[in-house]
Amino acid sequence: MKFLHLGLICAVAALTGCAASGPKFAEAESATPKLNADQGRVYFYRNSGIVGAAIQPGVMLDGAEVGKAQPGGYFYVDSGAGSHEAMISTEATNKVSFVLAKGEVKYVRTGVSMGFLAGHIVPELVGPAEASKELAELSYTGAKAK
Amino acid sequence: MTTSFFPRWSASLMLFLAGCAVQQTPAQLSALAPAAESGQQTLSSDIEWTLNTGYVRRLKKGSGWTKVGRLPQGDVYQPRNDVFTLEGAHIHEAYLVIEDGVLVGFYLPAERAFSPSRLHPAISLH
Repeated sequence: MKFLHLGLICAVAALTGCAASGPKFAEAESATPKLNADQGRVYFYRNSGIVGAAIQPGVMLDGAEVGKAQPGGYFYVDSGAGSHEAMISTEATNKVSFVLAKGEVKYVRTGVSMGFLAGHIVPELVGPAEASKELAELSYTGAKAK
Repeated sequence: MTTSFFPRWSASLMLFLAGCAVQQTPAQLSALAPAAESGQQTLSSDIEWTLNTGYVRRLKKGSGWTKVGRLPQGDVYQPRNDVFTLEGAHIHEAYLVIEDGVLVGFYLPAERAFSPSRLHPAISLH
């Protein structure tokens, strides 16, 4: 029984180390630069959760890595108007395609889904109302403002 | 036995995933000028149906849609302040394509493609 408790404590400690630890959304947003008129913004985020917390793959946007899918974390990317594709590869590759207009803000939530050998991290588009509620709880994991 | 299992297993998985891909054909949207776009129209009742890929989609009564153009298959409606997606092997942003009050398929703006719907639920926008 003692071993079980010790194991649980170690597991919780290990998983806590996986969680994002930057400033919360409200604080980070106050320092976020305004969007350029000819660009749109994509927020990528992953809600907190223990399931699959150790799996933190890179997030690709149009073939370039733009951040990591960290539980409890978010970051954003400003990009030109037009078609875009976000992709996350773990045991499998999952993609979401969308368009971005000038001045538009889109939200991509990444979440764990069951895989054959390990969990997959799947990106999905989320509406602004739902994303705003979820982002409020998350920590900024993107590059620090200069 | 063990060595031949995994190639067969992965081949089956590939077939399964390929079968789930969202069907699409290139489409040229005749976009409306912003001033000519219809104002926000709202859905008059809840709708739920199953996509060709097996995933279920629900549209809520009162959700807002704007007519943004036309395809040969029908008028194209974009969600207002929300997103709609098709899901198969991957996820695609999608707009509704409606003709004579029924859903006939979807416009995929990122791919500039039309994806037909196997089911044709009635859709009433006001």
